[in-house]
Amino acid sequence: MADNQSSTTAGKPIRCRAAVARGPGEPLVIEEVIVAPPNPHEVRIRIICTSLCYSDITFWKMKDPPGCFPTIFGHEAIGIVESVGEEVDELNEGDTVIPQFLSDCGDCVDCRSKKSNLCSKFPFQVSPWTHRDETSRFTDLNGETLYHFLYVSSFSEYTVVDIVHVTKIDPSIPPNRACLLSCGVSTGVGAAWKTAKVKAGSTVVVFGLGAIGLAVVEGARLCGAKRIIGVDVNPNKFEIGKKLGVTDFVNSGSCGNQTLSQVINEMTDGGADYCFECVGLLSLVNEAFACCRKGWGKTVVVGLHKLGSKLSFDSFEVLHSGKSIRGSFYGGLKPKSDIPILAKRYMDKELNLDEFVTHEVSFEDINNAFDLLTGGKCVRCVIWMNK
Amino acid sequence: MAEKEGSKTAGKPIRCRAAVARKAGEPLVMEEVIVSPPSPREVRIRIICTSLCYSDVTFWRMKDPPGFFPRILGHEAIGVVESIGEEVDEVTEGDTVIPIFLPDCGECRDCRSKKSNLCSKLPFKVSPWMHRDETSRFTDLKGETLYHFLYISSFSEYTVVDIAHLTKVDPAIPPNRACLLSCGISTGVGAACRTADVEAGSTVAIFGMGAIGLAVAEGARLCGAKRIIGVDVNPEKFIIGKKFGVTDFINSHSCGDKTASQVINEMTAGGADYCFECVGLASLVHEAYACCRKGWGKTVVVGVDKPGSQLNFSSYEVLHSGKIIMGSLFGGLKPKSDIPILVKRYMDKELQLEEFVTHEVSFNDINKAFDLLIDGKSLRCVIWMDK
Repeated sequence: MADNQSSTTAGKPIRCRAAVARGPGEPLVIEEVIVAPPNPHEVRIRIICTSLCYSDITFWKMKDPPGCFPTIFGHEAIGIVESVGEEVDELNEGDTVIPQFLSDCGDCVDCRSKKSNLCSKFPFQVSPWTHRDETSRFTDLNGETLYHFLYVSSFSEYTVVDIVHVTKIDPSIPPNRACLLSCGVSTGVGAAWKTAKVKAGSTVVVFGLGAIGLAVVEGARLCGAKRIIGVDVNPNKFEIGKKLGVTDFVNSGSCGNQTLSQVINEMTDGGADYCFECVGLLSLVNEAFACCRKGWGKTVVVGLHKLGSKLSFDSFEVLHSGKSIRGSFYGGLKPKSDIPILAKRYMDKELNLDEFVTHEVSFEDINNAFDLLTGGKCVRCVIWMNK
Repeated sequence: MAEKEGSKTAGKPIRCRAAVARKAGEPLVMEEVIVSPPSPREVRIRIICTSLCYSDVTFWRMKDPPGFFPRILGHEAIGVVESIGEEVDEVTEGDTVIPIFLPDCGECRDCRSKKSNLCSKLPFKVSPWMHRDETSRFTDLKGETLYHFLYISSFSEYTVVDIAHLTKVDPAIPPNRACLLSCGISTGVGAACRTADVEAGSTVAIFGMGAIGLAVAEGARLCGAKRIIGVDVNPEKFIIGKKFGVTDFINSHSCGDKTASQVINEMTAGGADYCFECVGLASLVHEAYACCRKGWGKTVVVGVDKPGSQLNFSSYEVLHSGKIIMGSLFGGLKPKSDIPILVKRYMDKELQLEEFVTHEVSFNDINKAFDLLIDGKSLRCVIWMDK
């Protein structure tokens, strides 16, 4: 949906509202901020809506680096290009775009390889700056620098994003579905589809039925998995899981004397073909490995763990089991090529996104989204900018 | 080469020489032993020659279970069928056979799957017994039971092996080459070609240039790897390594301030496509992982570590690196189908086996083979039964 305001604001700073995190764990403050025009290779985007992801919460709570404040969080979003910096050919004012934390330069060995989505030219880091020159485009009304988050910072009516972190998409996809493809749902669907390459007829176990785990379920269903076992402490997750393809539910709090992996090994007569850890708990990765089918089972790590933590595996087990272990970052997807594919699959009614949006709030009520997610009460809460 | 002795000894115990390990770490004692006839689904074999593998040394030294004494060690060998038990259709007296520690029943789900070589019907364990009934076929002249080793026990003129642990081979292959395919060389070649599925043009790093590591190099060479980096503490290994395709050598004691993985990351501009650990040390597995190419690199664990050893990986690294971790038992090969293929490749002069045999001794001098291997002076020492 083309926007004609660019003729008035292009090249100038924009004053707009943002939800600023001023201290770790403190409610966000809606304030006026100044958003600088885009530098070369950057675009300035008017955010339509954004959704809250647990990674926002993790870094919002973090007292020590890489946690830093004041920051504009948010990294799952959709918007319209308000203006482009020099040397941007890929996009024009008015284009509908999804920003992503994972860069896609299209040019380096990794971006050109089918086998990798880990851009080498703009390697991912949890950075408080723009990617190329490590500065900020945001200041508050006192002139104080505000930090970026994951190169996106979508909790603002306007943000500036590097072109390698932006994907153009079909404007006809409803924004409160499209924004999910910016991070969580793409990550989960990709983990099943691209990283694990789930085969039709197989058995899959998903540990953790938050948005990521549910997206893995959705991805496994699209790949034709015959049996999708969902594991969670919250039995309510089974209802929503079923809508996305979960066939069996295991309540990890109700296994009695047995471990989770023992229960799953029994149910599957020897283990699942693919096990996904979608919570970010070391012990669950070991459980996932333990109930992976020997000979060919794949254990996929999707959840984000506490920084500095170590995954530990018995060497004999690794040698003798034939199981493999791999992490999945952004589901192994290449943003600029794969997000449009997922958008189309949604429009073709193959990919289910509707069930993920359990709540919607306006920008002023953004802190409600935080409460809902930390309280385990929502899957995805969409925040509308409404301007 | 057909053997007519079966008609005289079939169905009766055989009295013959064996090298018995009576105490952990002590020289083997040449003694007369009694070898029972084969039970149903078993085969009694006259060993032609056998070679020493480090796994024999490891369990020879082990005071506590799964170390057992008195024991007949040895598991890399070639022999001729002297007699068969009931229900054996696959081989007959006079057939040339290679025994293998890894079972291949051909019937269970794993054996029927292309993706696994881990037989479920007769799962591999480090056992002191025959596989099916967990008894021994050996006694000494006092009637004391002698333990088996890895279901083979080839340090004996005659041994009894379960049909699931036997592969029939073309008798034209020289025995002192064929015996290598019983364990070490198959493991290494398979690790490269089957488990890792090394692609032509790729870069491979191998930690440990013993027989296994050199066999991985040979396998990588056969797969068309462009660059094969060998890592060892003994610079002489480069000379022999070159014959198997090693293109670059790193002496891990001469890296100065750097680790071997840092050196490899620099020389490969970011890491190797495949890294193999062929020593059996967790620290080297970590090194291998560290110099694996992000995005698609595979770290393959081939070496056997001491029981209880743990592999530790940064969870952040696992999530963000895209690297894969997997183990390789017997190179992922299915003994009955794959050993004959390797035999043929040797006969067709594609697979090199000559250079692995650095020493040959007669059975009486078997303890010299142990000394040579422990001192790092041999790759494979072939022990001829000479009867």
